[in-house]
Amino acid sequence: MSSRRSSRGNISDEEINELISKLQALLPASSRRRGSGQASTTKLLKETCSYIKSLHREVDDLSDRLSDLMSTMDHNSPGAEIIRSILRS
Amino acid sequence: MAQCGGDLLSRRLHQETVEGLCQGLLDLDDDKLGAMCSAFGYLQEWPDLSAMCGTNLGAPGVAAPDAGNGNDDSSCSGGLRKRKPEACLDAKSDHGDSCKRQRGKQQSSDLGEVAGKGKQERTKVGTKKKAEVASPADGQKTDYIHVRARRGQATDSHSLAERVRRERISERMRYLQELVPGCSKVTGKAGMLDEIINYVQSLQKQVEFLSMKIAAYNPVVSFDIVEDLFGRQLKQACNPAPSTAMALPTGQLEPSCLQMSTIPQGHLPVCSSGFGLEMVLNSPYLPATGGQMPPAAGGSNASCINVNGAAVWDIAPQNLFSGFDAQFQPVESDCLLENLKMEM
Repeated sequence: MSSRRSSRGNISDEEINELISKLQALLPASSRRRGSGQASTTKLLKETCSYIKSLHREVDDLSDRLSDLMSTMDHNSPGAEIIRSILRS
Repeated sequence: MAQCGGDLLSRRLHQETVEGLCQGLLDLDDDKLGAMCSAFGYLQEWPDLSAMCGTNLGAPGVAAPDAGNGNDDSSCSGGLRKRKPEACLDAKSDHGDSCKRQRGKQQSSDLGEVAGKGKQERTKVGTKKKAEVASPADGQKTDYIHVRARRGQATDSHSLAERVRRERISERMRYLQELVPGCSKVTGKAGMLDEIINYVQSLQKQVEFLSMKIAAYNPVVSFDIVEDLFGRQLKQACNPAPSTAMALPTGQLEPSCLQMSTIPQGHLPVCSSGFGLEMVLNSPYLPATGGQMPPAAGGSNASCINVNGAAVWDIAPQNLFSGFDAQFQPVESDCLLENLKMEM
């Protein structure tokens, strides 16, 4: 089965496994309990999905906060100037 | 009565069609699997059927999942044989005969024809029959049938489970493909994984970046806490300011920000100092050194600083330092310093 896949996809299982473990290292929770490679692939992909979603949420939240902070500042005030320079950096 | 009998007949025929499909699955060869697959694909195109299944499922219908249940041939065909007499029990004898005849015909005939017939019947029969038809398509067990019919490969339980697992993985991958932009262009598992990893990394960086921005903003906000240390004095000192809105956090940072921004005009030799705080501490002496306050600073804030000048900030340093060391993260103070230098 695996040989067939590698001949078709032109990539070896080791490469896939390497990528899988690389992805696993990126995820916060799953990096601790390293499962038995292939067996946890489904779970890993599931976690990746939810992690990407949570990252999306976090980015949205943070940019909302930033824009809120920006909007509450008076545009002419020196404070806003400082914030703007911080954001430019 | 005649209509009822006809209905019964068509129902039987229909059950038998399903049976035939199940039975056929087991002794099919590869080229007939395509027809089977299309038939089952058709079954699953009835979205409302699975819902009706639970309520409308009659006694004969119960046996249908049984048939789908068999991972090995013996149990499946056994289920079918057990079911057949039961199905014929309540039917009239001629109907039973037609059942048998029908089944025999189906088993011997081409399966593509069977599939077509099944479709034909499905359009004729009522909802109850549809529900019965849908029952094998409902539930976990039919995954095996589905997968097996599509691949037409090994039928032992291990490879079936493996296939289901692989199905799920590719389903997840497809889902991730939607989630990750630009991933749909990449073909192959490795490329997709690469893309996903890159995307996750970039998202992590983005989150880090954004929270750093907010943290860089926060030390200014954390003047609140510093002000709490000598808040009363400051409040008293800033009392005449009508529009500084001291109660609001954003209002509170205005005096301190203003002081920082007035530094360039103050010509104070603070550029060499490594800590933004010192600039802040130095700035109160601005009015004393010659009153070079820019007019753009605004009446209320300017007055605030003028009032601050001697009284508040002279007692502030110790408090400020103790408060500041706790408040400032290294990154934040670095960032602040950088920006202050930029402004200069």
